[in-house]
Amino acid sequence: MLAFLRKNQVLLSSGFCLLLSLYILTAAARGHLKQDPVGPVLLWLMRPLQITAQAATGWIKEIDQRYATVAGFRTENERLRKRIQELEVERSRLLEADATNRHLQKLLEFRPHLPSGSITASIIGNSASSWFQSCLLDKGSADGIRKGMAVVTPLGVVGQVVSATGHSAKVLLIIDANSGVDVLVQRTRARGIVSGSLENVTIMKYVKRSEDIQEGDRLITSGLDAVFPKGLMVGTVVKVNKQNLGLFQHVEVMPAVSSAQIEEVLVVGGGEPDQAKH
Amino acid sequence: MKLSLLFFTVGMLLVLLQTTFFHLLPLGPIVPDLILVLCVYWGLYYPNVAAALGAFALGYSVDVVSSPILGLNAFAMSLVFLAVYLSSRSIWLHNPLISAIVVFLASLVKGAALVLVWAVFLSMDGLWTGAARYIIMEALVAALLAPFVFALLRRGQSYLERIRVPAE
Repeated sequence: MLAFLRKNQVLLSSGFCLLLSLYILTAAARGHLKQDPVGPVLLWLMRPLQITAQAATGWIKEIDQRYATVAGFRTENERLRKRIQELEVERSRLLEADATNRHLQKLLEFRPHLPSGSITASIIGNSASSWFQSCLLDKGSADGIRKGMAVVTPLGVVGQVVSATGHSAKVLLIIDANSGVDVLVQRTRARGIVSGSLENVTIMKYVKRSEDIQEGDRLITSGLDAVFPKGLMVGTVVKVNKQNLGLFQHVEVMPAVSSAQIEEVLVVGGGEPDQAKH
Repeated sequence: MKLSLLFFTVGMLLVLLQTTFFHLLPLGPIVPDLILVLCVYWGLYYPNVAAALGAFALGYSVDVVSSPILGLNAFAMSLVFLAVYLSSRSIWLHNPLISAIVVFLASLVKGAALVLVWAVFLSMDGLWTGAARYIIMEALVAALLAPFVFALLRRGQSYLERIRVPAE
């Protein structure tokens, strides 16, 4: 008997455990198991461990949540970066619109000082040749622009229309060697012609040696060429040379308007009506 | 004795882990049943009275901390231990794959036992259809973890046996 028990002790103990668990189950299901003697002790033993483990679990959860938050920040950061880029583009566009608006506003303010019928135009192209200093306007004969009309800005004289097609006009800048603007030295009223040169220097020609011209003198249109209205800024004297022999002085001029920096211009003057087309 | 104590400590630790840390794993409602793996290990490699009582005790512990009715898991774990113990006589090959398969089957036995007892003692509509998914998932997770747990337990067992031999 004892040998049998010893031989089958695992089987018997397992069977006993099975029966015991079934008994507990039945008792618990029927409500007979009012007091569980082992459960409270087990829970009491496990309680501190579970509290500690739960605290650690909470700590891990918190780390996980923080990581999720950081990951969220990263996503948010990327989204905001994109938004900033979009806003930068928008800002750039608005600044450009603002700058254009200010230019046009200045032109509008300048308009009353000019003869009636001035036309606002934008520069859409520059000279394709290094030999000529010219630019193209976005308006032409269809808008009332004719050959010979003056092109100006509030800062000063830009040039003269040399040809006009239906919707564009070519302007010869005052820094071109072929151009000529009748000017007065504002301080002394001495006369001369401002023209460009192939040396890339704008000069004031035909100024008598006797005339008092100094560096910094402002040159304005005389109005005598019947192209540019009187009193518009042309440039500033930057160099005077009287040492050469001859009738005239050599005067170098800094144009008031840099063609590279202008975008909108006013086209004024009568021009030549018969050549308005093309 | 030392070994039994170690196994019991490991068992209690597993109960603790299953009620706390294992819920952090991204397995949805499935909690890896390492207690079952331990019972299978006992059935395969440590079949004695202490192990049989240990399986019952661990199942009972699970009942105490989480089951709606006492004895449910105690019955299931005892059954698993007995089933594995009986079948271990016909298992000649012991490797990680076999252990995973045994754990998988044992998990199915446990699931079936739970559902059966549940159906008898606690009536519930749609029990089988709902339980089937849990049983399969639990069995898969347990089978995947079994080789690692087995390796750890075997290492601990051989370590304690090495200590015991010189002392004897």
